[in-house]
Amino acid sequence: MQDDGQGRFAASVLPHLDAAYNLARWLVRDGHDAQDVVQDALVRALRHFDGFRGGDPRPWLLAIVRNAAFAWLGSRRTGEVDFADHEHELDAVLAMDAPPADPESLAIRRAERQEIDAAIAALPIAFREAVVLRELEELSYRDIARITDVPIGTVMSRLSRARHLLAAALRPEAARNLT
Amino acid sequence: MNDDDLWLDALLDDELDAAASLALQRRLAGEPALQRRLDERRALRDVVRTQATRHAAPDELRAKLLAMLPPRGDTAAGAAADASATPRTPANPRASLERRGARAGAWRRRVLPWATGLGGALLASVLTLALVAPGAPGWHRGEAIADLQTAEASEAVSAHTRALLVEHPIEVASSDQHTVRPWLSARLNFVPPVTDFAPQGYPLVGARRDVLSGETAAALVYRHGAHVISVFVRPVDPSATRAAEATRVVRGFNVIERTQGGLAFCFVSDANPHELAALADLVAPPTGS
Repeated sequence: MQDDGQGRFAASVLPHLDAAYNLARWLVRDGHDAQDVVQDALVRALRHFDGFRGGDPRPWLLAIVRNAAFAWLGSRRTGEVDFADHEHELDAVLAMDAPPADPESLAIRRAERQEIDAAIAALPIAFREAVVLRELEELSYRDIARITDVPIGTVMSRLSRARHLLAAALRPEAARNLT
Repeated sequence: MNDDDLWLDALLDDELDAAASLALQRRLAGEPALQRRLDERRALRDVVRTQATRHAAPDELRAKLLAMLPPRGDTAAGAAADASATPRTPANPRASLERRGARAGAWRRRVLPWATGLGGALLASVLTLALVAPGAPGWHRGEAIADLQTAEASEAVSAHTRALLVEHPIEVASSDQHTVRPWLSARLNFVPPVTDFAPQGYPLVGARRDVLSGETAAALVYRHGAHVISVFVRPVDPSATRAAEATRVVRGFNVIERTQGGLAFCFVSDANPHELAALADLVAPPTGS
């Protein structure tokens, strides 16, 4: 334990292994691929640990994991990473969808784990990462902005749209017909 | 999808400052439709948080991290793996084992030069400790402790703001310490100090149970002028190294942490640091040690 760099890396990064894996798993949507992404991210984190100037290591690590996941997705040409180019198109679609006035809350409460997971997995990647970082990792807007490399305002609107899509996906047909 | 949703989300996410939050609360009181929308968003948020899967890192991945040890340090690596009870080979080998074996090789090749240069055995011990023992005795690195306590402070702020947003921040509403103390001691396995400091300007409002770092804590609620102050109290292992006192600002809230007599106190409020420190000195007077 004499070596400060080593000890500091282990102490800072390894407690967040679950968070790292969770983010990777939601981004690439496959367990084995997520393991590869996390390994790749930890190699990068180890290499660049000198550049980490203290503070909360979790957003720092998650930013690296996120970049590794996007590099992985990009190398496979999944088309997901081009999302940003299409974000404004989605905006227009959402604008046409009027806000629901039904008792959404009651319908949503009954949703099962499987449905919720499927609804999140179906979100466009920029929305998905915002939801995972906010609801599962409980990070602040500021940290999410740092990790996803966008302004806080973008984080806010992505989160809001993501929740709108989730609410629509989780609303049963019956409730939708009431409106 | 409109601007109101952004505000409602920000309120739910504890991202509004006191003034914006107050303005929105006023609007909510006068607009039932807006309030309904907030309830919907909260229901959605709650169901996602409680139902969505948070994937835990598989043991296999932890085992692969140990596999980044250099081959000539195999004895150390073996001992490390045994000590951590982490299987070095996947517990449930699948058809793709060979493929993954090749990946592990690639991982080792990439890390090896780096790891060897810094001493594999040393890395082994550090990794093992970190993998099996965060928070356990032996986890005495200053930075680690600081990080843990920062995380605790952040959790305390979340608990405080959550309590402000829900309708029932208090399970036992009483300014009578002789009511609050027995209520808490009947429900906790320790007895926190409970005193009403109304004469000093800090009336006790009540208490509730909360969870910090996975452990049940007592949350005492005091009022000071317009400010609500949460005081989280929980027992800590007296042999564990903790900073005796730490003051920080987390997401706009002032936080004072103080460890004393086997209890960890965490004071959270939007009251100014001096006002908060004054209550800290009343609840947990510095011993001068």
